[in-house]
Amino acid sequence: MSARQSGLLQRLERWGTAAENASLVVLLGAMMILAVGQIVMRIFFSTGVVWGDELLKLLVLWMAMIASIAASRSDRHLRIDIISHFVPKKYARLPRLLVDAFAASICGVLAWQSWRFIQLSIESEYTVLVGVPSWIAHSILPFAFALMCYRFFLDFVAGSVNFFKVDTQ
Amino acid sequence: MMILSVALLILAIFGAPLFVVIAGSAMLGYYKEGIDLMAISIEILGIANMPFLSAIPLFTFAGYLLSESNAPKRLVRLTGALLSWMPGGLALVALAACAFFTAFTGASGVTIIALGAILYPALKQDGYPDNFNLGLVTTSGSLGLLFAPSLPLILYGVIAEVSIDSLFRAGILPGLLMLLMLSGYSLWVSRGNEKPLTPFEFKELGGALRESMWELPLPIVVLGGIYSGFFAVSEAAAVTALYVLIVEVIILREISLQDLPRVMRDSMLLVGSILIILAVSLASTNYMIDAGVPQALLGFVAEHVTSQATFLVLLLLFLLALGAILDIFSAIVLIVPLILPIAAQYNVDPIHLGIVFLAAMQLGYLTPPVGLNLFIASYRFDKPIMEVYSATFPFLLMLMLSVIIITYWPSLSLWLVAD
Repeated sequence: MSARQSGLLQRLERWGTAAENASLVVLLGAMMILAVGQIVMRIFFSTGVVWGDELLKLLVLWMAMIASIAASRSDRHLRIDIISHFVPKKYARLPRLLVDAFAASICGVLAWQSWRFIQLSIESEYTVLVGVPSWIAHSILPFAFALMCYRFFLDFVAGSVNFFKVDTQ
Repeated sequence: MMILSVALLILAIFGAPLFVVIAGSAMLGYYKEGIDLMAISIEILGIANMPFLSAIPLFTFAGYLLSESNAPKRLVRLTGALLSWMPGGLALVALAACAFFTAFTGASGVTIIALGAILYPALKQDGYPDNFNLGLVTTSGSLGLLFAPSLPLILYGVIAEVSIDSLFRAGILPGLLMLLMLSGYSLWVSRGNEKPLTPFEFKELGGALRESMWELPLPIVVLGGIYSGFFAVSEAAAVTALYVLIVEVIILREISLQDLPRVMRDSMLLVGSILIILAVSLASTNYMIDAGVPQALLGFVAEHVTSQATFLVLLLLFLLALGAILDIFSAIVLIVPLILPIAAQYNVDPIHLGIVFLAAMQLGYLTPPVGLNLFIASYRFDKPIMEVYSATFPFLLMLMLSVIIITYWPSLSLWLVAD
């Protein structure tokens, strides 16, 4: 890989992390303000925003997906962690390679299938909240799975480069 | 088909992210039944329809904020002022402070890191044997799991569709039992400690109270609010998160504004990894129910097990094995939907089942080979993992005894629920 290419990749990494963090901050902030706002309205004015609860649930969906992208980047997904604790690093590389390839393909299929679903939703005229087309609220699905697919694919590439480099030594 | 299922299992053991394994098994099932795979994405969207789920990100965030501030130090000082005049006082301080902190940080694994670093050297200085300290601190990291508002309790309530308020009540006495049994053991171990006792001082208690005056309203508002029914769980979570944010960042300024995005990201990494498993498991659970897996399981169990008592033995053995390889969150999401109908057949109350499930899975934090607390402690205190295993073992036995009592004494869980 040339220096210019890896420079571009690094910049993409930095921007990606910054975008994830910014989205997490905004979502978390919105959740707190919306939920506390609803309580204040309930207690002091005996009222509330009708779509408030629905919006809160959609925020949870977006939080789940974006936090999951972040967990892929930081390698924090929950897994059965036997190999990394008990198998020497040298022998753990091949299983890890298989796992990353598998994860990339499954996320790829999930991205593709949810993209198909979004296309169908665009044709239908379902709405959420106050007249917002439902496909906008659900568009996070293909987007997030595509990014996770990309992340596992990068791990796979890095893993295989490493695997063959060490082997030839 | 069989070969593909075995391949999935092998990939899971190789350490594939669990959500990927679950999604893969759902795809396999849908494909076999000739259902369009697009249906999986519709099922995943189901997490946007589950009640109370916003409590999980909000409580986790509040817990991470607290653990990064000086709140753990203040908590140790306060419990110290209350308890350290007793013989074995510091061990009791460690247990009580950890249980309280774990409940409030949702049992997310931050207790050992936040409190252990303070308690471990303090215990050593007080003359407790090193092995005991290591075991105590490691065990305490997941103590308090049964107290409100811990994440596993909330998650169980969401999955099993039982009242989270009732679960919060049900956890109190079994949680106290665990705390008491470990305290008893600690007192017995430290009976030979000849260090003179520190007398109780009102001045120290006053100082400790003043120091933690900003955090003191928290348990009162949150627990009071939830137990009295004034707040729903998700509301209490939002109030807690916003309150902790204002106190630690704006009033006490123990976490800088620049540091806040990092804390938010750290806490949300855990949340993302839990919620994505929950999301994809909606697809796989639905498939399994359609395919009649719970009925088949029930049929199999019913053939071999006749009494409730035998069923509970098998359940405990199963949960112990499960806890040794799977984390508590994935276990709740994956296993609870399958065992709920079976347990109902043996007249096990779903609330009691929840407490048994969580209490048994708590042991999973401490059982080799992959107990999470063991590794956190080994890393945090720079001890070989085998030493942590053996130091934790007596505590593990005590907890196991308490889990057996909790399992066979349902009214301990249900006593505070009834009304």
